[in-house]
Amino acid sequence: MVFNSLTFVVFFAIVLVLFTLPLAWATRKIILLVASYLFYAAWNPPFIILLWVSTVVDWWAANRIPLARTQARRRAWMATSVVANLGMLGWFKYGEFFLHNFQALAAGFGIQYQPPDFDIVLPVGISFYTFATMSYTLDVYLGRSQPTRSVLDFSLFVTFFPHLVAGPIMRPTELVPQFQEPRRPTLDQLRFGLALMTLGLFQKVVLADGFLAEPAELLFDGTKVPGALDAWIGTLAFSGQIFCDFAGYSTTAIGAALCLGFKMPDNFRFPYAAVGFSDFWRRWHITLSSWLRDYLYIPLGGNRHGESRTYFALMMTMLLGGLWHGANWTFVVWGGLHGVYLAVERWLRKAFGDYRPGPVTFVMLGLLTYALVNVTWVFFRAATFEKAWLVLKGMFGLNAAAEPILPAVHLTAVTAIVGGIVFTHWRMRTRTLESLVTATPAPVLATAWAAMAFAVIVEQGTGNAFIYFQF
Amino acid sequence: MASTEASTAAIAVQRRTASYERLTAADRPGVAQPVPERPVPVKPWGAMMLAVVVLVVLATAIWEWRMRSLELAAGDLRDGPSFWAEQRRRLDAGDVQVAIVGDSRILFDTDLDRFQALTGVRPVQLALPGTNGLPFLENVAADPDFKGLLVVGLADMSYFRREIGLMADALDRYEYESPAQRSSFVLHRALSRELAFLDENYRLSRLVQRLDRGARAGTAGPYDSPWKVATTGEDRQTALWRRLETDRYLNDHARHFWARGNQRPPVDDGLIAEILERSIKAVAQLRAHGGEIAYVRPPSAGFYVALEKRVIARERGWEPLLAATGAPGIHGSDDPVTRSLYLPEISHASRACSTVYTDAYVRSLVKVTRLRLLPGAPPPLTPADCAPTGDYIPM
Repeated sequence: MVFNSLTFVVFFAIVLVLFTLPLAWATRKIILLVASYLFYAAWNPPFIILLWVSTVVDWWAANRIPLARTQARRRAWMATSVVANLGMLGWFKYGEFFLHNFQALAAGFGIQYQPPDFDIVLPVGISFYTFATMSYTLDVYLGRSQPTRSVLDFSLFVTFFPHLVAGPIMRPTELVPQFQEPRRPTLDQLRFGLALMTLGLFQKVVLADGFLAEPAELLFDGTKVPGALDAWIGTLAFSGQIFCDFAGYSTTAIGAALCLGFKMPDNFRFPYAAVGFSDFWRRWHITLSSWLRDYLYIPLGGNRHGESRTYFALMMTMLLGGLWHGANWTFVVWGGLHGVYLAVERWLRKAFGDYRPGPVTFVMLGLLTYALVNVTWVFFRAATFEKAWLVLKGMFGLNAAAEPILPAVHLTAVTAIVGGIVFTHWRMRTRTLESLVTATPAPVLATAWAAMAFAVIVEQGTGNAFIYFQF
Repeated sequence: MASTEASTAAIAVQRRTASYERLTAADRPGVAQPVPERPVPVKPWGAMMLAVVVLVVLATAIWEWRMRSLELAAGDLRDGPSFWAEQRRRLDAGDVQVAIVGDSRILFDTDLDRFQALTGVRPVQLALPGTNGLPFLENVAADPDFKGLLVVGLADMSYFRREIGLMADALDRYEYESPAQRSSFVLHRALSRELAFLDENYRLSRLVQRLDRGARAGTAGPYDSPWKVATTGEDRQTALWRRLETDRYLNDHARHFWARGNQRPPVDDGLIAEILERSIKAVAQLRAHGGEIAYVRPPSAGFYVALEKRVIARERGWEPLLAATGAPGIHGSDDPVTRSLYLPEISHASRACSTVYTDAYVRSLVKVTRLRLLPGAPPPLTPADCAPTGDYIPM
């Protein structure tokens, strides 16, 4: 189920009531576990089996690692987890993609190969929970943590519904300790949690779905050739949409967890105020970028084996990070572009390491970063390279037969909303949301909270899935 | 006093420390990540939440009142793929005597109560707005459980095209509906019975976007999209929204939207042949497992008549369709009653005239199908029974 649905409202209310009953801690954890399985089954019941497979494989593998007598055996158990999880991910998410590419490759050699029509259903959230369970086994293998003794705690770590289908991708050391001690939310945690959920749903339902999705669709899914204005505004609309959609989900998830007394990590830190791309990736989808850093970039050598190896590790991490987002070469190019940006930035920092920009230059560099990020969003959103090139050409005024696409109201709304987002990110780039809440008078906060809640109610979205559900 | 000083001190401490960035996983490479920090800002959360609840309830009540003043109504359940799928599943249970597929004309112009009063049978309404009835004819024809009468309502321009149209996802929802989708539909329907504002067409973003009356030339803006034209009750009993009979702006908008059809070229012979072939196959399949079919073509008026004639005239579409399939057909322009009905926006009968139209076409249906009038069926209706009165918009 999705957070922005009536079903979730009822589900969450029931879970809150049941979880706060005066029952034993183990019983309350079982309630959470059952609720989390129901949360996932509400999408498609049989796919619970995949959650169980991931849970059983990683529980077993992680418990065998400390008992292994040789490094080879330790590595074998670690590999079992990686192969099982990436195998599931590869089959469900990339099976058809690999088949179609094999077919194209064969055709390039004059071989006509018609693959069977498998029609593989992509299980929602598979990219997220496989990464979460792999991190459990990998942390045990790398000596960063010990396996948990409680299969209940581990199962709950895998399935905890606030983060199950679209993150934040939590590490076992972040969540499992929270299951080991009985806890109940304080009244203030509940209220602040509900406020966070309101903020998250406002971002998703009102901003992303209500005002930003349509202009992005008109540009990227329409047939008209865009000029500069439409190409930029439509792309900015998508940049706003994907931020509000995904950050909205994360904020709602963090709020839901807090309502239950659990703490989840930040996943976004005002990314559209990033200055440079390494800064961007410390602010955007933090849990994914740090996962890729810890389990891919560093094992590939990181920056410890010379410049060439560093650039290789960087590019591989970003290319695979792009592929993680979807089974399409456009996502790989998106990741590759970010890899190129990071590599160029690294080279520039080495070449001009002593340079310190003044305040105006600092802001200009930030805006340049945002503009270049928008160039990558074109590849992320476009279904084909042809469409991506058309939009990019439009952005630089190179389409001869450009036609107006976006009506005035979309131009105005996108400018206002995205402008507001970027402005807010710059005001908040060295702050936390909690610090802003602390500094804001209570009547202002209450009014803003009420306004957002009312806007969510009267926008009454149709329960559109979050963009990142498809990853 | 002591607690006030303590709160003030706590807030001061929090202000000093919380303004700095909180460390995240991005700042801790290659190590086990600790349990996250999630401090709750020191605020009067209880009072704030109470204020929020009061404000939201008040604002929502005012909004509800405002939407009712715009003639939205509680009990308008709004159509959608889940609602359609629910009705479609009734055919799976078997023993459905009459089902209706088609587009918005047969959907809005059929009064299920009148149909039942005349024949004792209440049809399952499976027509969909803005949607080609042919794929749905094919879907029902392929269902061996259906052995009843299938009424296929068609507007020529809707039936003779390749695209499915607006509600293409209805069939997908019938094939698979997740438990979450089903429960959200049930909950939404329950709320819609009590609240009027739950209308997709009157969402906040839609209302803001409709302020644009075409300010940027050359673009298809909100004025060029379909707006609310119908209300839907239980078992998908749908009718033209009453406001279209009296509100000049909404009526003009509806006619503006229908006029987009002026851009459509005449249907080519190849497409006609393709549609006929699919229809022949579906009708044969339906008959093979004991079903029966009748085509019904509701009336249109004004510029729509000439538009439809230009794009797909009766002698190119409707007549060959009946000849090829051998199915009986009831055309709206053949009956003096249905020719004279009030169609407020020239495409659909008014709510009152949908009853008269249903009365007329059912009386024709019983002459060409297994359907029969009840012995004590009410007497025939005439256009005078639904003549508009008061301040209405003429055709």
